[in-house]
Amino acid sequence: MSSQLLAGKRGVIFGALDDQSIAWQVAEVCAEMGATFTLTNAPVALRFGTLNELGEKLNAEIIPADATSVEDLENLFQRSEEILGGKLDFVLHAIGMSLNVRKGKSYTDIKHEWMLKTFDISAISFHKMCQVLYQGDHMAEWGSILGLSYIAAQRTFPDYSEMAESKALLESFARSFGYHFGEKNKVRVNTISQSPTMTTAGKGVKGFDEFFGYADKMSPLGNATARACGEYCASLFSDHTRYVTMQNLYHDGGFSNMGMNPKLVG
Amino acid sequence: MASIEEKVKQIIVDKLGVDESEVTADASFQNDLGADSLDTVELIMEFEKEFDISIPDEQAENIQTVGQAVTYLESSVDK
Repeated sequence: MSSQLLAGKRGVIFGALDDQSIAWQVAEVCAEMGATFTLTNAPVALRFGTLNELGEKLNAEIIPADATSVEDLENLFQRSEEILGGKLDFVLHAIGMSLNVRKGKSYTDIKHEWMLKTFDISAISFHKMCQVLYQGDHMAEWGSILGLSYIAAQRTFPDYSEMAESKALLESFARSFGYHFGEKNKVRVNTISQSPTMTTAGKGVKGFDEFFGYADKMSPLGNATARACGEYCASLFSDHTRYVTMQNLYHDGGFSNMGMNPKLVG
Repeated sequence: MASIEEKVKQIIVDKLGVDESEVTADASFQNDLGADSLDTVELIMEFEKEFDISIPDEQAENIQTVGQAVTYLESSVDK
């Protein structure tokens, strides 16, 4: 499915940890489709994961940045513009982390100082990112900003815990910034609500394997893979989707509109 | 001035949110102190920052307990 859909486009891709990551697949697809971009993640994630391999493979510069730090974000976008030679056409935010989930805290026994950190890393970072892009005038006209979400923002998936509220917040930030960015210079802002995906972060959620199987059976098309998500992101970075903005877009094989699937009870 | 051991223990208490009494020399970050693999990388980076050193990944993999961290840092940090 390779074409030069993104020829000449410049971007920044946040959040690739290893080759299981959705952001990693997005980067691979964008490179195949002719885009150039920088890659970024938090210093600890760079040490923990294997992003260097991707940078070498795709000849993309890696700029470490803590997405909760406005200073780091300012540096990231300034340097990206310098490296890529112009304003940005696309940005992917694929960042999420919950200490309460990692530490197995139940939803009714949440540690609230960790919850604030979860919201800061998983959602407020999106607002910070958009604000730095907006104030620094880093986005080209008709650019495209995407965040990765999950249907737990709308419906209850108990083990997803406080990440549900993080995603609800993320989606709301995207809608609101979609207005401001659209009025400013026709930049579109959306979130993609992706199927459960076998990533390092996903596997950190309790009962993930069972849930992955459940969603796969419930969805008439089955779960969308990380690679398929990469292809969808590329379409939303392209010029063919210029009037799509302020949306939360399901990329889930049909899961979100299913009531029951006989495959699950048969 | 706090000893290396005291500083190491303080970093572990702060990072992992555990009680100081649990931070014994034999305590394993992952098995006893509730750390996950990402926490251990964060700990290593905190040690590097605090003591202004660089811990190669091969060495870092061998630092699994409080005692191992103290021993490694005592031998690596300029006194």
